Amino acid sequence: MLELQTQRQLVNLLVKLICLTVSACTTLLLLAIAAFMVAESLPVWSALGPLKIIAGTDWSPLAAPPRLGIGTMILSTLWVALGAVLLSAPLGFAGAIFLAEFAPPWLAGIIRPVLNILTGIPSVVYGFVGAAVLIKFFEVSFNMASGESLFCASLILTVMVLPYIVTNSESALRSVPREYRQAALALGVSKQYLTLRVLLPLAKKGLTGALVLAFGRAAGETMAVLMLAGNTMLLPTSWFSKGEPLSALIALELGTSVVGSAHYQALFAAGLVLLILVICINLFLTLLKRG
Amino acid sequence: MLRRCLDLLWLVLFWTAGLFILFVLAGIMGYLVLRGGPVLSWEFLTTAPRGLPLGAEGGVFPAIKGTFYLVLIAVFSAVLPGIITAVYLVEYAAPSRFRDIINLTVQCMAGIPSIVTGLFAYALFVVRMGFGISLLAGGLALGIMIFPVIVVTSRDALLAVNEQYRLVGASLGVSRWYMLVRVIFPQGLPAVISGVLLAAGYAAGATAPVMVTAAVISAGSSGSLFEPVMALPYHLYILFSQQISIERAYGTALLLVLLLLILNAVTLWLRSLKGKGA
Repeated sequence: MLELQTQRQLVNLLVKLICLTVSACTTLLLLAIAAFMVAESLPVWSALGPLKIIAGTDWSPLAAPPRLGIGTMILSTLWVALGAVLLSAPLGFAGAIFLAEFAPPWLAGIIRPVLNILTGIPSVVYGFVGAAVLIKFFEVSFNMASGESLFCASLILTVMVLPYIVTNSESALRSVPREYRQAALALGVSKQYLTLRVLLPLAKKGLTGALVLAFGRAAGETMAVLMLAGNTMLLPTSWFSKGEPLSALIALELGTSVVGSAHYQALFAAGLVLLILVICINLFLTLLKRG
Repeated sequence: MLRRCLDLLWLVLFWTAGLFILFVLAGIMGYLVLRGGPVLSWEFLTTAPRGLPLGAEGGVFPAIKGTFYLVLIAVFSAVLPGIITAVYLVEYAAPSRFRDIINLTVQCMAGIPSIVTGLFAYALFVVRMGFGISLLAGGLALGIMIFPVIVVTSRDALLAVNEQYRLVGASLGVSRWYMLVRVIFPQGLPAVISGVLLAAGYAAGATAPVMVTAAVISAGSSGSLFEPVMALPYHLYILFSQQISIERAYGTALLLVLLLLILNAVTLWLRSLKGKGA
Protein backbone atom coordinates (compact mmCIF):
# COMPACT_ATOMS: atom_id res chain seq x y z
CA MET A 1 0.00 0.00 0.00
CA LEU A 2 2.74 2.35 1.02
CA GLU A 3 4.67 1.41 -2.06
CA LEU A 4 1.71 2.24 -4.29
CA GLN A 5 1.37 5.58 -2.56
CA THR A 6 4.96 6.57 -3.23
CA GLN A 7 4.73 5.31 -6.77
CA ARG A 8 1.74 7.49 -7.39
CA GLN A 9 3.42 10.48 -5.87
CA LEU A 10 6.37 9.84 -8.11
CA VAL A 11 4.16 9.86 -11.22
CA ASN A 12 2.52 13.07 -10.10
CA LEU A 13 5.84 14.71 -9.49
CA LEU A 14 7.18 13.55 -12.83
CA VAL A 15 4.17 14.89 -14.73
CA LYS A 16 4.46 18.20 -12.96
CA LEU A 17 8.13 18.38 -13.81
CA ILE A 18 7.53 17.63 -17.49
CA CYS A 19 4.81 20.28 -17.67
CA LEU A 20 7.08 22.78 -15.96
CA THR A 21 9.98 22.11 -18.32
CA VAL A 22 7.87 22.39 -21.46
CA SER A 23 6.28 25.62 -20.26
CA ALA A 24 9.67 27.07 -19.44
CA CYS A 25 10.75 26.24 -22.99
CA THR A 26 7.93 28.48 -24.25
CA THR A 27 9.59 31.46 -22.66
CA LEU A 28 12.91 30.34 -24.06
CA LEU A 29 11.41 30.19 -27.56
CA LEU A 30 10.25 33.80 -27.35
CA LEU A 31 13.64 34.83 -26.04
CA ALA A 32 15.28 32.87 -28.85
CA ILE A 33 13.24 34.72 -31.47
CA ALA A 34 14.22 38.05 -29.95
CA ALA A 35 17.84 36.95 -29.57
CA PHE A 36 18.03 35.91 -33.23
CA MET A 37 16.69 39.24 -34.41
CA VAL A 38 19.26 41.04 -32.27
CA ALA A 39 22.19 38.76 -33.09
CA GLU A 40 21.65 38.74 -36.85
CA SER A 41 21.22 42.49 -37.06
CA LEU A 42 23.84 43.56 -34.52
CA PRO A 43 26.62 44.29 -37.05
CA VAL A 44 24.57 46.90 -38.94
CA TRP A 45 23.33 48.56 -35.76
CA SER A 46 26.89 49.08 -34.58
CA ALA A 47 28.30 49.91 -38.01
CA LEU A 48 25.75 52.53 -39.01
CA GLY A 49 24.28 53.57 -35.68
CA PRO A 50 20.63 53.12 -34.70
CA LEU A 51 19.67 56.68 -35.63
CA LYS A 52 20.89 56.34 -39.20
CA ILE A 53 18.90 53.14 -39.66
CA ILE A 54 15.65 54.11 -37.96
CA ALA A 55 15.48 57.68 -39.16
CA GLY A 56 17.24 57.13 -42.47
CA THR A 57 15.11 57.35 -45.58
CA ASP A 58 17.54 56.01 -48.14
CA TRP A 59 17.37 52.29 -48.82
CA SER A 60 20.02 51.12 -51.30
CA PRO A 61 21.34 47.93 -49.75
CA LEU A 62 23.49 46.99 -52.71
CA ALA A 63 25.31 50.32 -53.05
CA ALA A 64 28.84 50.63 -51.70
CA PRO A 65 28.75 51.53 -48.88
CA PRO A 66 25.16 50.25 -48.43
CA ARG A 67 22.58 52.79 -47.28
CA LEU A 68 20.11 51.08 -45.03
CA GLY A 69 17.59 53.59 -43.71
CA ILE A 70 14.27 51.95 -42.88
CA GLY A 71 12.56 55.17 -41.75
CA THR A 72 10.39 55.17 -44.87
CA MET A 73 9.13 51.68 -44.13
CA ILE A 74 8.54 52.41 -40.45
CA LEU A 75 6.50 55.44 -41.43
CA SER A 76 4.51 53.37 -43.96
CA THR A 77 3.80 50.72 -41.35
CA LEU A 78 2.58 53.25 -38.81
CA TRP A 79 0.53 55.12 -41.39
CA VAL A 80 -1.19 52.03 -42.73
CA ALA A 81 -1.92 50.60 -39.28
CA LEU A 82 -3.12 53.87 -37.73
CA GLY A 83 -5.32 54.47 -40.76
CA ALA A 84 -6.87 51.03 -40.39
CA VAL A 85 -7.58 51.56 -36.69
CA LEU A 86 -9.02 54.99 -37.39
CA LEU A 87 -11.42 53.58 -39.98
CA SER A 88 -12.42 50.47 -38.10
CA ALA A 89 -12.85 52.04 -34.65
CA PRO A 90 -16.26 53.71 -35.20
CA LEU A 91 -17.54 50.74 -37.16
CA GLY A 92 -16.20 48.23 -34.67
CA PHE A 93 -17.57 50.04 -31.63
CA ALA A 94 -20.98 50.43 -33.23
CA GLY A 95 -20.96 46.75 -34.13
CA ALA A 96 -19.98 45.79 -30.59
CA ILE A 97 -22.74 47.95 -29.11
CA PHE A 98 -25.20 46.35 -31.50
CA LEU A 99 -24.15 42.86 -30.48
CA ALA A 100 -24.03 43.60 -26.75
CA GLU A 101 -27.20 45.65 -26.40
CA PHE A 102 -29.49 45.82 -29.39
CA ALA A 103 -29.21 42.72 -31.56
CA PRO A 104 -32.02 40.19 -31.26
CA PRO A 105 -30.49 36.90 -30.00
CA TRP A 106 -31.01 35.03 -33.26
CA LEU A 107 -29.15 37.70 -35.22
CA ALA A 108 -26.32 37.86 -32.68
CA GLY A 109 -26.17 34.06 -33.02
CA ILE A 110 -25.44 34.52 -36.71
CA ILE A 111 -23.05 37.45 -36.44
CA ARG A 112 -20.72 35.83 -33.87
CA PRO A 113 -19.78 32.81 -36.02
CA VAL A 114 -19.47 35.17 -38.99
CA LEU A 115 -16.90 37.19 -37.04
CA ASN A 116 -15.04 33.96 -36.34
CA ILE A 117 -14.97 33.08 -40.00
CA LEU A 118 -13.81 36.58 -40.93
CA THR A 119 -10.81 36.31 -38.58
CA GLY A 120 -10.02 32.94 -40.13
CA ILE A 121 -9.96 34.01 -43.77
CA PRO A 122 -6.29 33.98 -44.83
CA SER A 123 -4.74 37.39 -45.27
CA VAL A 124 -3.61 36.52 -48.77
CA VAL A 125 -7.27 36.09 -49.74
CA TYR A 126 -8.11 39.51 -48.31
CA GLY A 127 -5.14 40.96 -50.13
CA PHE A 128 -6.12 39.28 -53.37
CA VAL A 129 -9.77 40.37 -53.24
CA GLY A 130 -8.66 43.88 -52.26
CA ALA A 131 -6.15 44.06 -55.06
CA ALA A 132 -8.52 42.61 -57.63
CA VAL A 133 -11.54 44.73 -56.69
CA LEU A 134 -10.51 47.87 -54.78
CA ILE A 135 -7.54 48.75 -56.92
CA LYS A 136 -9.49 48.23 -60.11
CA PHE A 137 -12.14 50.49 -58.66
CA PHE A 138 -9.65 53.24 -57.86
CA GLU A 139 -7.98 52.94 -61.25
CA VAL A 140 -11.23 53.16 -63.15
CA SER A 141 -13.11 55.74 -61.13
CA PHE A 142 -10.24 58.15 -60.45
CA ASN A 143 -8.40 57.50 -63.67
CA MET A 144 -5.20 56.58 -61.88
CA ALA A 145 -2.36 54.79 -63.61
CA SER A 146 -2.07 52.35 -60.76
CA GLY A 147 -4.47 52.21 -57.86
CA GLU A 148 -2.26 50.95 -55.06
CA SER A 149 -1.86 53.23 -52.07
CA LEU A 150 -1.47 53.20 -48.33
CA PHE A 151 -5.16 54.09 -48.19
CA CYS A 152 -6.14 50.91 -50.05
CA ALA A 153 -4.03 48.86 -47.68
CA SER A 154 -5.69 50.58 -44.73
CA LEU A 155 -9.14 49.84 -46.15
CA ILE A 156 -8.48 46.11 -46.41
CA LEU A 157 -6.80 46.06 -43.00
CA THR A 158 -9.94 47.75 -41.65
CA VAL A 159 -11.98 44.73 -42.68
CA MET A 160 -9.32 42.39 -41.30
CA VAL A 161 -9.10 43.95 -37.82
CA LEU A 162 -12.82 44.71 -37.52
CA PRO A 163 -13.66 41.29 -35.98
CA TYR A 164 -10.98 41.78 -33.32
CA ILE A 165 -12.35 45.18 -32.36
CA VAL A 166 -15.96 43.98 -32.30
CA THR A 167 -15.28 40.85 -30.22
CA ASN A 168 -13.04 42.56 -27.67
CA SER A 169 -15.22 45.66 -27.34
CA GLU A 170 -18.29 43.51 -26.89
CA SER A 171 -16.75 41.62 -24.00
CA ALA A 172 -15.62 44.95 -22.51
CA LEU A 173 -19.21 46.27 -22.68
CA ARG A 174 -20.58 43.06 -21.20
CA SER A 175 -18.20 43.19 -18.27
CA VAL A 176 -19.73 46.45 -16.98
CA PRO A 177 -21.49 45.52 -13.71
CA ARG A 178 -25.24 45.01 -13.88
CA GLU A 179 -25.99 47.63 -11.21
CA TYR A 180 -25.11 50.48 -13.53
CA ARG A 181 -27.59 49.32 -16.13
CA GLN A 182 -30.35 48.87 -13.59
CA ALA A 183 -29.69 52.23 -11.97
CA ALA A 184 -29.71 54.01 -15.31
CA LEU A 185 -32.83 52.27 -16.57
CA ALA A 186 -34.58 52.99 -13.27
CA LEU A 187 -33.97 56.67 -13.95
CA GLY A 188 -35.94 56.26 -17.14
CA VAL A 189 -33.24 56.99 -19.72
CA SER A 190 -33.38 55.32 -23.10
CA LYS A 191 -31.21 52.35 -23.92
CA GLN A 192 -29.19 54.45 -26.36
CA TYR A 193 -28.47 57.02 -23.67
CA LEU A 194 -27.51 54.28 -21.27
CA THR A 195 -25.08 52.79 -23.76
CA LEU A 196 -23.47 55.99 -24.89
CA ARG A 197 -23.27 57.88 -21.61
CA VAL A 198 -22.91 55.10 -19.05
CA LEU A 199 -21.57 51.90 -20.57
CA LEU A 200 -19.06 53.38 -23.01
CA PRO A 201 -17.23 55.52 -20.43
CA LEU A 202 -17.18 52.62 -17.97
CA ALA A 203 -15.78 50.23 -20.57
CA LYS A 204 -13.16 52.74 -21.70
CA LYS A 205 -10.23 50.58 -20.70
CA GLY A 206 -11.45 47.51 -22.54
CA LEU A 207 -12.25 49.56 -25.62
CA THR A 208 -8.77 51.09 -25.65
CA GLY A 209 -7.34 47.61 -25.32
CA ALA A 210 -9.32 46.47 -28.36
CA LEU A 211 -7.95 49.35 -30.44
CA VAL A 212 -4.36 48.74 -29.36
CA LEU A 213 -4.66 45.05 -30.14
CA ALA A 214 -6.07 45.88 -33.56
CA PHE A 215 -3.18 48.26 -34.17
CA GLY A 216 -0.71 45.48 -33.40
CA ARG A 217 -2.46 43.12 -35.79
CA ALA A 218 -2.53 45.72 -38.54
CA ALA A 219 1.14 46.66 -38.09
CA GLY A 220 2.29 43.05 -38.35
CA GLU A 221 0.14 42.07 -41.30
CA THR A 222 2.13 41.12 -44.37
CA MET A 223 0.30 39.77 -47.40
CA ALA A 224 -2.50 42.33 -47.61
CA VAL A 225 -0.14 45.31 -47.43
CA LEU A 226 2.32 43.62 -49.76
CA MET A 227 -0.36 43.35 -52.42
CA LEU A 228 -2.00 46.73 -51.86
CA ALA A 229 0.44 49.35 -50.61
CA GLY A 230 2.29 49.80 -53.88
CA ASN A 231 5.83 48.96 -52.73
CA THR A 232 7.85 52.05 -53.55
CA MET A 233 10.77 53.35 -51.58
CA LEU A 234 9.57 56.96 -51.58
CA LEU A 235 8.74 58.63 -48.32
CA PRO A 236 4.94 58.63 -48.03
CA THR A 237 3.64 62.18 -47.90
CA SER A 238 -0.07 61.47 -47.66
CA TRP A 239 -2.49 58.66 -47.02
CA PHE A 240 -2.89 58.27 -50.76
CA SER A 241 0.76 57.89 -51.64
CA LYS A 242 2.39 54.53 -52.04
CA GLY A 243 4.68 53.00 -49.52
CA GLU A 244 6.30 49.80 -48.46
CA PRO A 245 5.66 48.72 -44.86
CA LEU A 246 8.33 46.83 -42.91
CA SER A 247 6.63 43.47 -43.26
CA ALA A 248 6.38 43.81 -47.04
CA LEU A 249 10.05 44.81 -47.22
CA ILE A 250 11.11 41.68 -45.37
CA ALA A 251 8.87 39.38 -47.38
CA LEU A 252 10.03 40.81 -50.71
CA GLU A 253 13.77 41.02 -50.12
CA LEU A 254 14.70 38.19 -47.76
CA GLY A 255 14.90 35.61 -50.52
CA THR A 256 17.29 37.67 -52.63
CA SER A 257 19.57 38.99 -49.91
CA VAL A 258 22.95 37.32 -49.52
CA VAL A 259 23.21 35.57 -46.17
CA GLY A 260 25.44 37.54 -43.83
CA SER A 261 25.54 40.68 -46.00
CA ALA A 262 24.60 44.11 -44.68
CA HIS A 263 21.36 43.80 -46.67
CA TYR A 264 20.47 40.57 -44.84
CA GLN A 265 21.34 42.09 -41.49
CA ALA A 266 19.26 45.18 -42.19
CA LEU A 267 16.21 43.00 -42.87
CA PHE A 268 16.65 41.51 -39.41
CA ALA A 269 16.91 45.03 -38.05
CA ALA A 270 13.51 45.68 -39.65
CA GLY A 271 12.20 42.48 -38.05
CA LEU A 272 13.55 43.58 -34.68
CA VAL A 273 11.75 46.92 -34.95
CA LEU A 274 8.47 45.12 -35.70
CA LEU A 275 9.02 42.67 -32.85
CA ILE A 276 9.77 45.43 -30.34
CA LEU A 277 6.64 47.28 -31.45
CA VAL A 278 4.49 44.21 -30.88
CA ILE A 279 6.02 43.32 -27.53
CA CYS A 280 5.52 46.91 -26.32
CA ILE A 281 1.87 46.66 -27.35
CA ASN A 282 1.42 43.43 -25.40
CA LEU A 283 3.12 44.78 -22.30
CA PHE A 284 0.88 47.83 -22.52
CA LEU A 285 -2.21 45.61 -22.78
CA THR A 286 -1.14 43.61 -19.73
CA LEU A 287 -0.60 46.77 -17.72
CA LEU A 288 -3.96 48.08 -18.89
CA LYS A 289 -5.70 44.95 -17.63
CA ARG A 290 -3.97 45.14 -14.28
CA GLY A 291 -3.82 48.82 -13.34
CA MET B 1 -38.73 65.06 -29.57
CA LEU B 2 -35.16 65.83 -30.48
CA ARG B 3 -34.06 63.21 -28.00
CA ARG B 4 -36.26 60.65 -29.73
CA CYS B 5 -34.92 61.48 -33.18
CA LEU B 6 -31.42 61.21 -31.89
CA ASP B 7 -32.15 57.85 -30.30
CA LEU B 8 -33.61 56.59 -33.54
CA LEU B 9 -30.55 57.78 -35.40
CA TRP B 10 -28.23 55.91 -33.06
CA LEU B 11 -30.35 52.78 -33.36
CA VAL B 12 -30.10 52.91 -37.13
CA LEU B 13 -26.36 53.38 -36.85
CA PHE B 14 -25.91 50.36 -34.60
CA TRP B 15 -28.03 48.17 -36.85
CA THR B 16 -26.06 49.30 -39.89
CA ALA B 17 -22.78 48.38 -38.24
CA GLY B 18 -24.10 44.97 -37.26
CA LEU B 19 -25.46 44.22 -40.69
CA PHE B 20 -22.30 45.52 -42.32
CA ILE B 21 -20.37 42.64 -40.76
CA LEU B 22 -22.73 40.16 -42.41
CA PHE B 23 -22.51 42.07 -45.64
CA VAL B 24 -18.70 41.89 -45.67
CA LEU B 25 -18.63 38.12 -45.38
CA ALA B 26 -21.50 37.67 -47.82
CA GLY B 27 -19.80 40.05 -50.25
CA ILE B 28 -16.44 38.29 -50.15
CA MET B 29 -17.97 34.82 -50.33
CA GLY B 30 -20.43 35.75 -53.04
CA TYR B 31 -17.80 37.37 -55.17
CA LEU B 32 -15.37 34.47 -54.78
CA VAL B 33 -18.05 31.90 -55.62
CA LEU B 34 -19.15 33.95 -58.61
CA ARG B 35 -15.65 34.31 -60.05
CA GLY B 36 -13.95 31.20 -58.70
CA GLY B 37 -16.83 28.74 -58.85
CA PRO B 38 -16.59 28.01 -62.58
CA VAL B 39 -12.86 27.25 -62.20
CA LEU B 40 -13.28 24.66 -59.47
CA SER B 41 -13.52 21.25 -61.01
CA TRP B 42 -12.23 17.77 -60.42
CA GLU B 43 -9.50 18.47 -62.91
CA PHE B 44 -8.49 21.69 -61.11
CA LEU B 45 -8.11 19.78 -57.86
CA THR B 46 -6.23 16.78 -59.18
CA THR B 47 -3.80 17.99 -61.85
CA ALA B 48 -0.56 19.91 -61.76
CA PRO B 49 -0.22 23.44 -63.14
CA ARG B 50 0.47 23.54 -66.87
CA GLY B 51 0.73 26.09 -69.61
CA LEU B 52 2.90 29.08 -70.23
CA PRO B 53 3.58 30.89 -67.94
CA LEU B 54 3.30 27.90 -65.67
CA GLY B 55 -0.05 27.90 -63.90
CA ALA B 56 -2.04 29.52 -66.69
CA GLU B 57 -3.72 26.16 -67.20
CA GLY B 58 -4.11 22.99 -65.24
CA GLY B 59 -4.77 22.65 -61.56
CA VAL B 60 -3.32 23.08 -58.12
CA PHE B 61 -2.79 19.49 -56.97
CA PRO B 62 0.87 19.89 -55.87
CA ALA B 63 -0.09 23.03 -53.93
CA ILE B 64 -2.83 21.14 -52.10
CA LYS B 65 -0.38 18.37 -51.28
CA GLY B 66 2.26 20.86 -50.15
CA THR B 67 -0.13 22.73 -47.90
CA PHE B 68 -1.34 19.45 -46.44
CA TYR B 69 2.21 18.36 -45.57
CA LEU B 70 3.09 21.78 -44.15
CA VAL B 71 0.05 21.79 -41.89
CA LEU B 72 0.72 18.21 -40.83
CA ILE B 73 4.26 19.06 -39.73
CA ALA B 74 3.11 22.25 -38.03
CA VAL B 75 0.38 20.49 -36.05
CA PHE B 76 2.63 17.58 -35.11
CA SER B 77 5.37 19.87 -33.85
CA ALA B 78 3.09 22.26 -31.94
CA VAL B 79 0.30 20.14 -30.52
CA LEU B 80 2.12 18.29 -27.77
CA PRO B 81 4.09 21.19 -26.27
CA GLY B 82 1.02 23.41 -26.67
CA ILE B 83 -1.30 21.11 -24.75
CA ILE B 84 1.31 20.37 -22.09
CA THR B 85 1.83 24.08 -21.51
CA ALA B 86 -1.93 24.57 -21.25
CA VAL B 87 -2.19 21.72 -18.73
CA TYR B 88 0.58 23.26 -16.70
CA LEU B 89 -1.10 26.67 -16.71
CA VAL B 90 -4.47 25.28 -15.66
CA GLU B 91 -3.69 22.34 -13.42
CA TYR B 92 -0.25 22.68 -11.91
CA ALA B 93 0.89 26.25 -11.67
CA ALA B 94 -0.28 27.89 -8.50
CA PRO B 95 -1.03 31.57 -9.04
CA SER B 96 2.53 32.72 -9.16
CA ARG B 97 4.86 35.07 -10.88
CA PHE B 98 6.11 32.23 -13.08
CA ARG B 99 2.62 31.49 -14.37
CA ASP B 100 2.08 35.17 -15.10
CA ILE B 101 5.30 35.22 -17.08
CA ILE B 102 4.27 32.22 -19.16
CA ASN B 103 0.84 33.69 -19.79
CA LEU B 104 2.44 36.94 -20.90
CA THR B 105 4.92 35.06 -23.07
CA VAL B 106 2.14 33.17 -24.81
CA GLN B 107 0.24 36.40 -25.36
CA CYS B 108 3.33 38.06 -26.83
CA MET B 109 3.99 35.07 -29.08
CA ALA B 110 0.44 35.17 -30.35
CA GLY B 111 1.06 38.78 -31.33
CA ILE B 112 4.32 38.23 -33.18
CA PRO B 113 3.81 39.12 -36.84
CA SER B 114 3.97 35.99 -38.95
CA ILE B 115 6.69 37.50 -41.11
CA VAL B 116 8.94 37.84 -38.05
CA THR B 117 8.34 34.17 -37.28
CA GLY B 118 9.30 33.49 -40.87
CA LEU B 119 12.44 35.58 -40.51
CA PHE B 120 13.41 33.64 -37.39
CA ALA B 121 12.76 30.29 -39.07
CA TYR B 122 14.79 31.43 -42.08
CA ALA B 123 17.78 32.34 -39.95
CA LEU B 124 17.56 29.24 -37.76
CA PHE B 125 16.29 26.40 -39.94
CA VAL B 126 17.13 27.47 -43.48
CA VAL B 127 20.53 29.07 -42.86
CA ARG B 128 22.03 27.94 -39.54
CA MET B 129 20.78 24.36 -39.56
CA GLY B 130 21.18 24.06 -43.29
CA PHE B 131 17.74 22.73 -44.17
CA GLY B 132 17.53 25.13 -47.11
CA ILE B 133 14.19 26.26 -48.50
CA SER B 134 12.33 23.13 -47.53
CA LEU B 135 9.12 21.52 -46.36
CA LEU B 136 10.61 20.89 -42.91
CA ALA B 137 11.68 24.53 -42.38
CA GLY B 138 8.24 25.80 -43.45
CA GLY B 139 6.37 23.28 -41.34
CA LEU B 140 8.38 24.17 -38.25
CA ALA B 141 7.89 27.90 -38.91
CA LEU B 142 4.13 27.31 -39.03
CA GLY B 143 4.44 25.20 -35.89
CA ILE B 144 5.99 28.10 -34.01
CA MET B 145 3.25 30.34 -35.36
CA ILE B 146 0.31 28.16 -34.24
CA PHE B 147 1.85 27.10 -30.92
CA PRO B 148 0.42 30.05 -28.92
CA VAL B 149 -2.98 29.55 -30.56
CA ILE B 150 -3.05 25.95 -29.37
CA VAL B 151 -1.97 26.94 -25.86
CA VAL B 152 -4.68 29.59 -25.55
CA THR B 153 -7.53 27.47 -26.92
CA SER B 154 -6.54 24.39 -24.88
CA ARG B 155 -6.10 26.49 -21.76
CA ASP B 156 -9.57 27.98 -22.15
CA ALA B 157 -11.02 24.55 -22.92
CA LEU B 158 -9.56 23.05 -19.73
CA LEU B 159 -10.56 26.07 -17.67
CA ALA B 160 -14.12 25.70 -18.90
CA VAL B 161 -14.42 22.23 -17.35
CA ASN B 162 -16.78 22.45 -14.41
CA GLU B 163 -14.96 23.38 -11.19
CA GLN B 164 -17.16 20.90 -9.28
CA TYR B 165 -15.34 17.95 -10.81
CA ARG B 166 -12.06 19.22 -9.45
CA LEU B 167 -13.52 19.76 -5.98
CA VAL B 168 -15.15 16.34 -5.87
CA GLY B 169 -11.97 14.72 -7.12
CA ALA B 170 -9.86 16.48 -4.51
CA SER B 171 -12.29 15.56 -1.73
CA LEU B 172 -12.11 11.89 -2.76
CA GLY B 173 -8.36 12.05 -2.49
CA VAL B 174 -7.83 11.24 -6.18
CA SER B 175 -4.45 12.29 -7.48
CA ARG B 176 -4.12 15.26 -9.82
CA TRP B 177 -2.76 13.12 -12.62
CA TYR B 178 -5.66 10.66 -12.39
CA MET B 179 -8.18 13.49 -12.35
CA LEU B 180 -6.58 15.04 -15.38
CA VAL B 181 -6.46 11.88 -17.44
CA ARG B 182 -9.80 10.37 -16.49
CA VAL B 183 -12.05 13.35 -15.87
CA ILE B 184 -10.84 16.74 -16.99
CA PHE B 185 -9.21 15.80 -20.27
CA PRO B 186 -12.15 13.76 -21.62
CA GLN B 187 -14.47 16.64 -20.72
CA GLY B 188 -12.34 19.26 -22.40
CA LEU B 189 -11.28 17.14 -25.36
CA PRO B 190 -13.83 18.31 -27.96
CA ALA B 191 -12.90 21.93 -27.32
CA VAL B 192 -9.18 21.12 -27.41
CA ILE B 193 -9.57 19.32 -30.73
CA SER B 194 -11.60 22.13 -32.22
CA GLY B 195 -8.86 24.54 -31.15
CA VAL B 196 -6.26 22.41 -32.89
CA LEU B 197 -8.39 22.34 -36.04
CA LEU B 198 -8.70 26.13 -36.03
CA ALA B 199 -4.94 26.37 -35.61
CA ALA B 200 -4.53 24.01 -38.57
CA GLY B 201 -6.74 26.29 -40.65
CA TYR B 202 -4.66 29.28 -39.57
CA ALA B 203 -1.50 27.44 -40.66
CA ALA B 204 -3.03 26.44 -44.00
CA GLY B 205 -3.77 30.06 -44.87
CA ALA B 206 -0.54 31.62 -43.65
CA THR B 207 1.54 32.91 -46.51
CA ALA B 208 4.32 35.09 -45.16
CA PRO B 209 6.28 32.47 -43.16
CA VAL B 210 5.90 29.87 -45.91
CA MET B 211 6.95 32.32 -48.57
CA VAL B 212 10.39 32.85 -47.03
CA THR B 213 11.05 29.31 -45.77
CA ALA B 214 9.38 26.67 -47.90
CA ALA B 215 7.38 27.67 -50.94
CA VAL B 216 8.47 27.87 -54.54
CA ILE B 217 6.58 28.59 -57.72
CA SER B 218 6.71 25.05 -58.99
CA ALA B 219 7.57 21.79 -57.28
CA GLY B 220 6.30 18.26 -57.19
CA SER B 221 5.57 18.43 -53.43
CA SER B 222 6.59 14.81 -53.07
CA GLY B 223 6.59 15.05 -49.30
CA SER B 224 10.35 14.78 -48.96
CA LEU B 225 11.29 16.86 -45.93
CA PHE B 226 14.27 18.65 -47.39
CA GLU B 227 12.76 19.74 -50.68
CA PRO B 228 10.80 22.92 -51.33
CA VAL B 229 7.06 22.58 -51.88
CA MET B 230 4.19 24.44 -53.43
CA ALA B 231 1.61 25.89 -51.08
CA LEU B 232 -1.93 27.05 -51.83
CA PRO B 233 -1.70 30.59 -50.38
CA TYR B 234 1.66 31.23 -52.00
CA HIS B 235 0.37 29.84 -55.27
CA LEU B 236 -2.52 32.31 -55.08
CA TYR B 237 -0.08 35.16 -54.45
CA ILE B 238 2.09 34.15 -57.40
CA LEU B 239 -0.85 33.64 -59.78
CA PHE B 240 -2.03 37.15 -59.03
CA SER B 241 1.18 39.12 -58.59
CA GLN B 242 2.88 37.65 -61.67
CA GLN B 243 -0.39 38.07 -63.54
CA ILE B 244 -0.36 34.45 -64.62
CA SER B 245 -4.06 33.73 -64.47
CA ILE B 246 -6.65 35.73 -62.59
CA GLU B 247 -9.30 33.00 -63.08
CA ARG B 248 -7.12 30.34 -61.47
CA ALA B 249 -6.33 32.82 -58.69
CA TYR B 250 -10.05 33.18 -57.95
CA GLY B 251 -10.39 29.41 -57.96
CA THR B 252 -7.48 29.01 -55.55
CA ALA B 253 -8.84 31.71 -53.24
CA LEU B 254 -12.27 30.07 -53.20
CA LEU B 255 -10.65 26.73 -52.41
CA LEU B 256 -8.80 28.25 -49.44
CA VAL B 257 -11.94 29.86 -48.07
CA LEU B 258 -14.00 26.67 -48.54
CA LEU B 259 -11.35 24.75 -46.63
CA LEU B 260 -11.69 27.25 -43.82
CA LEU B 261 -15.50 27.05 -43.82
CA ILE B 262 -15.36 23.26 -43.55
CA LEU B 263 -12.95 23.49 -40.61
CA ASN B 264 -15.24 26.01 -38.93
CA ALA B 265 -18.26 23.80 -39.43
CA VAL B 266 -16.45 20.81 -37.90
CA THR B 267 -15.39 23.02 -35.00
CA LEU B 268 -18.97 24.14 -34.32
CA TRP B 269 -20.10 20.52 -34.43
CA LEU B 270 -17.38 19.49 -31.97
CA ARG B 271 -18.31 22.28 -29.60
CA SER B 272 -21.91 21.06 -29.60
CA LEU B 273 -20.62 17.66 -28.43
CA LYS B 274 -19.10 19.23 -25.36
CA GLY B 275 -19.91 17.48 -22.12
CA LYS B 276 -21.45 14.40 -23.71
CA GLY B 277 -18.08 12.69 -24.03
CA ALA B 278 -17.43 11.83 -20.41
